[in-house]
Amino acid sequence: MTGGMAPPIEIESIGGGLAGEVNEVSGASPMRCYQCAKCSSGCPVAAGGDFKPHELVRMVQTDQRQAVLSSRFIWECTSCHTCATRCPQQVDVAGMIDALREMSRRAGSVAPSTAVPVFNELFLDAVRERGRIFELGLMVGFKLRTGRLFEDVGKAPMMLAKGKLPLSAPRVAGKGGKAGREALFGRAAEGGAQ
Amino acid sequence: MTYTFFPGCSLDGAAKDYHRSTLAVAAKLGLELPELKDWICCGSTAAHSSDPLLADALPAQSLSAAGGSTVAVACAACYSRLKTANHHIAGDAALRARVAHVVGRDYDGRTPVLHLLEILCRDIGLARVAAAIRRPLTGLKVACYYGCLLVRPPEITGFDDPENPTLMDQLMQAAGATPLEWPHKTECCGASFSITDASVVLELGNRILAMAQAAGADCIATACPLCQLNLDMRQTDMERKFGRRYNLPVFYFTQLLGLAMGCRPDELSLNSLVVAPKALLEARGIGR
Repeated sequence: MTGGMAPPIEIESIGGGLAGEVNEVSGASPMRCYQCAKCSSGCPVAAGGDFKPHELVRMVQTDQRQAVLSSRFIWECTSCHTCATRCPQQVDVAGMIDALREMSRRAGSVAPSTAVPVFNELFLDAVRERGRIFELGLMVGFKLRTGRLFEDVGKAPMMLAKGKLPLSAPRVAGKGGKAGREALFGRAAEGGAQ
Repeated sequence: MTYTFFPGCSLDGAAKDYHRSTLAVAAKLGLELPELKDWICCGSTAAHSSDPLLADALPAQSLSAAGGSTVAVACAACYSRLKTANHHIAGDAALRARVAHVVGRDYDGRTPVLHLLEILCRDIGLARVAAAIRRPLTGLKVACYYGCLLVRPPEITGFDDPENPTLMDQLMQAAGATPLEWPHKTECCGASFSITDASVVLELGNRILAMAQAAGADCIATACPLCQLNLDMRQTDMERKFGRRYNLPVFYFTQLLGLAMGCRPDELSLNSLVVAPKALLEARGIGR
């Protein structure tokens, strides 16, 4: 996408199929939105997005699945919840975006510019492994996976000097230990069905 | 007064100073914070943007281990995730059953979760906090910065006025400081984009620092590890990128309270701050 304008959207269908799925996953009700744009007005990252939050909601209403699931914006959202807090129609825009992220990953439509899903995956792997996050290990893992070896390279020594980056990982935490957590993650992935 | 303390991962890592100063202030107030045994990570943003069920199950595993006693939290992100899981589980019997299956035991979603700010202001009370002040922070102008996760979503956190929270301001006032009125109390700092795309944090953090400076702040008080880290550790990068000069120390509110209660700087890990507060504190006659 070059230039300031997003390309026109081909209408796939109107009928709220995507809105229904979002509602099922997250409880959010995008069909209530009447486009006042209060969400976009308070959004800290709307200005740089390929779409603004109220535009994304409209695209969900009109079932623009491919454009929505491949949008950069769903990964640029900081989950600050300002949109949902101020919405006069109680549309949980932040919850909608969480649902879209999950759907985007499953559909293999993640925007190539984002490193967020890789970070999330490494983060959750670390939780499964140790029960707690070991920040240094997570940062190193992220750098290796994304090839951003020299980004912020000056921050680590500074954090070490300030005692903000312990070098040793926490012991494996939580009841049932690692095996217990592997089982927990497995059951969650199966949807918690008995 | 005793609460079961859920420190969270950051308080054992980048926010060790928050942990240490929290315990120092608690000791001054007779507040006991035994650590929850076997707590695990709350799942943070990674869980709720990947798998809603896992995002409720991870907090449920920790909260069900608290045996129903009130859980105290200092990290705003942990607070948000624990309260969100409670809200979901207590309000949805079918979800409660699924979470019970995932975690391996039933949890009703009713273990109370309180942030340290709520405990100090409401349970202990401002009068007791004020009575513990030994060296008032007279003349120190503080921009209290709450960030996102304490106040939003308000129907879940029920923390304070979501657009103009004042719990931290009240504590700063009780400590003798001057809390400032300013419009960016609950703006977002960019949170974990610090790792995935630091340019977001530079942009958002710069807006917050610029507004605090415009309001006449000497310093910023925070109650969230990511807010503190982003505004403090990346402050020089923001100054460089946007051609500004801030030199605004970014404290945890517990560090400022601790100073006012007569704790030593090392008990509060003041050395961990990247923007050094020494000159400011000396100029205001604080912490000597």
